[in-house]
Amino acid sequence: MSISLEHLYKSYGSVPILEGFSDVVPDGSLTALLGPSGSGKSTLLKMIAGLESVDQGRVILHGRDVTTLPARHRSIGFCFQDYAPFYQLSVFENVAYGLKTRKMPAAQIKKEVSELLELVHLGAFASRYPRQLSGGQRQRMALARALAIKPDVLLLDEPFAALDAQVGAELRAWVRSLQHELNITTLLVTHNQAEAMEVADRVVIMNHGRIEQVGVPSEVYDNPANDFVRTFLGPTTMFEGASLRPHDLQVTRSGDGVPGVVSDVIRLGFEVRVIVTRDDGDTIWLQLTHDEAQQLALNVGERVTIRRRT
Amino acid sequence: MGRSPLWLRIIVLLYVGVLVGVPLVFVFQQSFAHGASALWTALHDSSMGNAIDLTMRVVLLALPVNTVVGVGAALWIVRHPSWLSRVVDRLIDVPLAISPIIIGLMLELAYAQNGWLGRPLAALGLRIIFSYPGIVLACIFVSLPLVTRQLIPLLREIGSNQELTAASLGAGPVRIFLTITMRSIMWATAYGVTLTLARILGEYGAVLIVSGNITDLTQTLTLNIGANFENYNAYQGFVGAGVLALTSVIILLVLGVARHRERKRHEHLA
Repeated sequence: MSISLEHLYKSYGSVPILEGFSDVVPDGSLTALLGPSGSGKSTLLKMIAGLESVDQGRVILHGRDVTTLPARHRSIGFCFQDYAPFYQLSVFENVAYGLKTRKMPAAQIKKEVSELLELVHLGAFASRYPRQLSGGQRQRMALARALAIKPDVLLLDEPFAALDAQVGAELRAWVRSLQHELNITTLLVTHNQAEAMEVADRVVIMNHGRIEQVGVPSEVYDNPANDFVRTFLGPTTMFEGASLRPHDLQVTRSGDGVPGVVSDVIRLGFEVRVIVTRDDGDTIWLQLTHDEAQQLALNVGERVTIRRRT
Repeated sequence: MGRSPLWLRIIVLLYVGVLVGVPLVFVFQQSFAHGASALWTALHDSSMGNAIDLTMRVVLLALPVNTVVGVGAALWIVRHPSWLSRVVDRLIDVPLAISPIIIGLMLELAYAQNGWLGRPLAALGLRIIFSYPGIVLACIFVSLPLVTRQLIPLLREIGSNQELTAASLGAGPVRIFLTITMRSIMWATAYGVTLTLARILGEYGAVLIVSGNITDLTQTLTLNIGANFENYNAYQGFVGAGVLALTSVIILLVLGVARHRERKRHEHLA
């Protein structure tokens, strides 16, 4: 089911949050709303779910205007950043909540909840309470709870921000494959560009309540529409008056290019950062892969030249 | 957490003991001073019986009203902030800041038969001051903030994400309140209700003014105790005080057990 957002405006008092946001989220896509904090992305997500009022503009779900429809009639699965577990209810009761609200017969609830708990690998935790779960387990419980109502759309607010790095990485891969499996239109909010690139098949980059660029992750990374997008999506370095990605530069011991002296080599595993001080005193930094760095075997103090990769 | 230092424990124990413990023991001791039969007679004093009866009737109306209003006000102030709810948030503390006797005078000025609110009510045949409604009003007024003040910080801490999630899962406001909100605030509400009950049972100043303190008619238990002391019937006063003190101790014990169980449950879950 597609989501059309038409000229959405929102402000809190005199503080503008969204300033004419428009986008169409295609059916079955996994779109990431990517932007720095305060860019209005979480507010936008709540507006789509009906958890926040719309000042101006329209929210259209699969051709139907739902701008003023109460959240409970929208059939949208929503997961908060803190997963908002119902602490007083067991894992089973959490997942069953939406089904009980729909007055589904108890036997069917039991069947569906059990299936969902298996899907999110929480089958053995049905009678536990949220406080007894780890962060990753809580997140999967919240996902199962949202999926239980068979929503048309899934909205995830910073789903991985509260998890430690390793658990976050596992869950990103898992959420991506689950989304592909269920083929449910999903919109997720994140401030983390790597997360958006990894999970989403479409990115909407936001800043100050407006869209800066929309596209496939590789496309926006390679062809950023402006300096904000370029800087936000990854590191940049200044070379010959232009802002470039540090891995678009090449360093050699001889040949054409800008001469300088290696002032530092920082090894970060796969990535190796080389900092070069030019003869005029400016510094340039660039990224090499582990293998390139091994082959070059640069030493601090060596004279090198830098040029663009071709 | 380590144990607190010995000197601190001794000071606190002495302080609480001298201020609360000793006088409490004296009230009970005085009630038994003249033997069992004198106590039996005093317990069956008809004026005290009427006072207890009136106090219970006041509790039965004022307590539910302040519970419902208190929970509602807390939800409104925390979940739907507006300039008006902020005004209410400030006003709701007024009863704590003003002496009950002044509250009594304010109510009397407003609700007396020639008062601004009292006159139209009198025209409808409703007598507020010197009767049951006035006493209930005074008790509601003085205990107004107790439930709300317990709930406001808790509701802020819990946040609204659980409620919003429940809404996205299809629940309406009533179901959200009953299945999500109420479950989280149940014990804090119980605590606030207990404080309200204790406040109503113990209210003296405001009730003294608005009730007229008419024996057998508008005399609550605290007023009855006071009247007995003034009329050189100290023993009857001690027995009344003993009854009231015992009730309060029982309420506190019940609450203590309830809180203990709740904490145990949370520790078990954590």
